[in-house]
Amino acid sequence: MSNVGLSRLRMTALPPWSGVLMLLVLLIIVLAIFEPAFISMGNVNNIIRAAAIPVVLGIGMTFAILTGGIDLSVGSVLAFSGVFLSILAGFIPISLAVLVTLVAVTAIVGGINGSLIGRIGLNSFVVTLATLGVFRGVAYLVTNGKTQTVDPGVIVTALGDGNVGPVPGPLLVMIVIGLIASYVLRSTYFGRDVYAVGGNEVAAQLAGINTRSVKMTVYFVSAACATLGGIMSIGRMESAAPTAGAGLELAVVAGVLLGGTRLSGGVGTIAGTVIGIFFLTCVSNALTIIGVSSYWQPIATGVLLIAALLFDRFRLEPSRRAKKIKER
Amino acid sequence: MEMRIGQAPGDTRVMMEGISKAFGPVQALNDVKLALYPGEIHTLAGENGSGKSTLLRILGGVIRSDTGRVIVEGVEHDFPNVRAAMREGVTVVSQELSLVPALSVAENVFLGHQQVREARGINWKKTQAACSVILNRLNLDIDTSVPVGTLPQDQQQLIEIARALAFESRVILLDEPTSSLEPNEVESLFQVMRQLRDEGVAIVFISHRMREMLEISDRYTVLRDGRFIDTAPAEGVDSSWLIERMVLKRRATIGQASVTTGAAAPGRVQLVEVDKLRDRSGRVDGVSLTLFSGEIAGLAGLAGAGRTEFVETLVGYRHRESGSVRVLDKEVGGTTRDAVKAGLSLVPDDRRYKSAVLDMSVRDNLLLSSRGAPWVPRSKSQEGAIVRGWVDKLRIKTSDIDAPLKTLSGGNQQKVIIARCLQVSPKLLILDEPTRGIDLGARAEIYEILRSLAAEGLSILTVSSELEEIFQISDRVLVMHAGQLSADIPRAEATEQLVIAAATGHLQ
Ligand SMILES: Nc1ncnc2c1ncn2[C@@H]1O[C@H](COP(=O)(O)OP(=O)(O)OP(=O)(O)O)[C@@H](O)[C@H]1O
Ligand SMILES: [Mg+2]
Repeated sequence: MSNVGLSRLRMTALPPWSGVLMLLVLLIIVLAIFEPAFISMGNVNNIIRAAAIPVVLGIGMTFAILTGGIDLSVGSVLAFSGVFLSILAGFIPISLAVLVTLVAVTAIVGGINGSLIGRIGLNSFVVTLATLGVFRGVAYLVTNGKTQTVDPGVIVTALGDGNVGPVPGPLLVMIVIGLIASYVLRSTYFGRDVYAVGGNEVAAQLAGINTRSVKMTVYFVSAACATLGGIMSIGRMESAAPTAGAGLELAVVAGVLLGGTRLSGGVGTIAGTVIGIFFLTCVSNALTIIGVSSYWQPIATGVLLIAALLFDRFRLEPSRRAKKIKER
Repeated sequence: MEMRIGQAPGDTRVMMEGISKAFGPVQALNDVKLALYPGEIHTLAGENGSGKSTLLRILGGVIRSDTGRVIVEGVEHDFPNVRAAMREGVTVVSQELSLVPALSVAENVFLGHQQVREARGINWKKTQAACSVILNRLNLDIDTSVPVGTLPQDQQQLIEIARALAFESRVILLDEPTSSLEPNEVESLFQVMRQLRDEGVAIVFISHRMREMLEISDRYTVLRDGRFIDTAPAEGVDSSWLIERMVLKRRATIGQASVTTGAAAPGRVQLVEVDKLRDRSGRVDGVSLTLFSGEIAGLAGLAGAGRTEFVETLVGYRHRESGSVRVLDKEVGGTTRDAVKAGLSLVPDDRRYKSAVLDMSVRDNLLLSSRGAPWVPRSKSQEGAIVRGWVDKLRIKTSDIDAPLKTLSGGNQQKVIIARCLQVSPKLLILDEPTRGIDLGARAEIYEILRSLAAEGLSILTVSSELEEIFQISDRVLVMHAGQLSADIPRAEATEQLVIAAATGHLQ
């Protein structure tokens, strides 16, 4: 009996992402032994570059999920942002185009998602599922379905694929965005309000928090991250494809939840999201190295997403678990 | 009664021995024992954080103990979950209700029950019939197909008990079942409890209201600081016996602590003016009221009179249909944010739904109404000093201010919420059932704090279902009936009769 008590105690004392961190470390060790190519400098570099965009999107997604919402439109917004930038770059210098894209696309997407969900109070799943369709469609329409080649210039290349000195640019972007987001969540009133809205919206409102504006703001944050993701993808691909980021929302949501963020809101960390997405990226990278067909990757992601949900379910303390089971 | 005293342990329905449970550094229970006999109402008494809920949660299979034995009807058990305990006839009805609001009465009562399942799914007809039988036993006359969320609190409470009966429980553990009930609702719950006791069910009862404990109990067990203190049959137990055992020495004066109602100071100012306030649902139907500085007003009324709706409209949680609220002659906007800014702060009545953010830290919960500019960094050290100040002042029992609120006992959670509202230095502090779940000692301390705040010029409005509480702390008694203010009486002239007449609409 005492053993059970002890293990349960440990479970609650550790941060929620410790489980997936252990899995990640285990995965790396196993792969390092059986596939030494996995930990070669080149491959590590690959993994970092592949993880960067989902991590940036995941950081925005974490804000949305923390309030108890979700943003399924991120993959489409990434494509929309890329296409927007590619067209703008035909008229104005690329560096200016990047700034305009960041501001304009964030405002458009955040404005639509944010006001429908935050102001009017529509369901976030439905709204962003709709805008997932809308922004993808707009990206197809304005490009007529064709991939636009763009000369990314130094800045965009550095963001998406290049190096800043010896350090990969995307790694820097991840670190900077991650640190800012983590700081906002931990050390600002807005961050606390995000947790409060997801933890107990009625209580947050009665405590004087403007819950609508908090909910609205998180969709701006998510839109900004997805827009940045679109710009990074141009740096990576040197082109803007209307198909870019298709299905990416699956990997992003899966990574966030694997990282210990609770789907119903109120609990979660940026660190967890970063670890969760790195875990997924390593899995798909490993599948590629081993030579498994890339068609298996969404399957692996899906399975891991369900595993993450199950894990979350069983990490809950027993009283909650009992309640949750009753709710079925 | 006498016969039971000398009974051998074999006759006990439940025997708990040497139960210990630690949560991290907190030793919630330390070598505690509890014996339950068939057909008794056994009151578990103790201050906030003394370990009552923890003991029931162990017996009910919600959590496991670190050490100790649980023997149910002669067989030792270590319940891994709630369901296992229910199978052995032990059901815990927790401090916070755990019904699913959207499901019907019948569905809630039989949730997870094996018998209603048949080869082709669930037989709802049969379930509804079975449910009706149980509800009859509880003298409850309600439609089994309505969603539970639409029912009043007391009926929801009884449905939790019905759930226990559906599982043929012979041991029912009621953790503060009366804390959210109105006095008349308490009476009907007690009737049901007595009836079940007479049928041989062993019932554990927890309450912080002395009157209720003395009225219903056949036997008492007292815990203090996670330790077993004493157990005794009801004969010979009175309030001083209980207080002596529940309360630590430093606070032994509680029974006598009475608050002197100060006559409102002559220099009092009109702080808040409410004019013909009406909400969209019509539950608040044109309330006009002036509140003064340095005054404690008690708002009485029956269940459904619209008291909670009124204060929630006042602070902008419910939509205002018409009317106005002015603080020091300045119009207050219609959102909760506006209200907090204008100095209106509310301690809501329902902790679980309206005030506690259980997964958030004690610190963040306590400071939830306080804020600087949204992007300005919070100073952790400054915050820590503020929070620790309140923890000391209100004697909030917590090991770590950064631990989640859910690790605190119910009463201590409530103290955090009260501190949240005091921390914003409101002009008008509104408390809706403020002492719900708070132990006797802390209650007296909170009254004292309210009194001293009023002396400093704060205006206080307390809503309470307990007339006693209203009379004890108010300078002025307000009564609501059917969404309107039906009386406004100075404390000196207020009598129980007068208040009841006003509350039932028999006052012209
Ligand atoms: N999950 C938990 N994690 C950490 N500490 C806990 C947890 N649950 C309870 N405690 C601590 O155990 C002690 C006993 O709590 P318990 O809820 O049993 O008190 P209680 O007697 O029911 O009080 P109340 O009258 O306020 O409901 C408290 O100090 C509480 O902070
Ligand atoms: Mg308790």
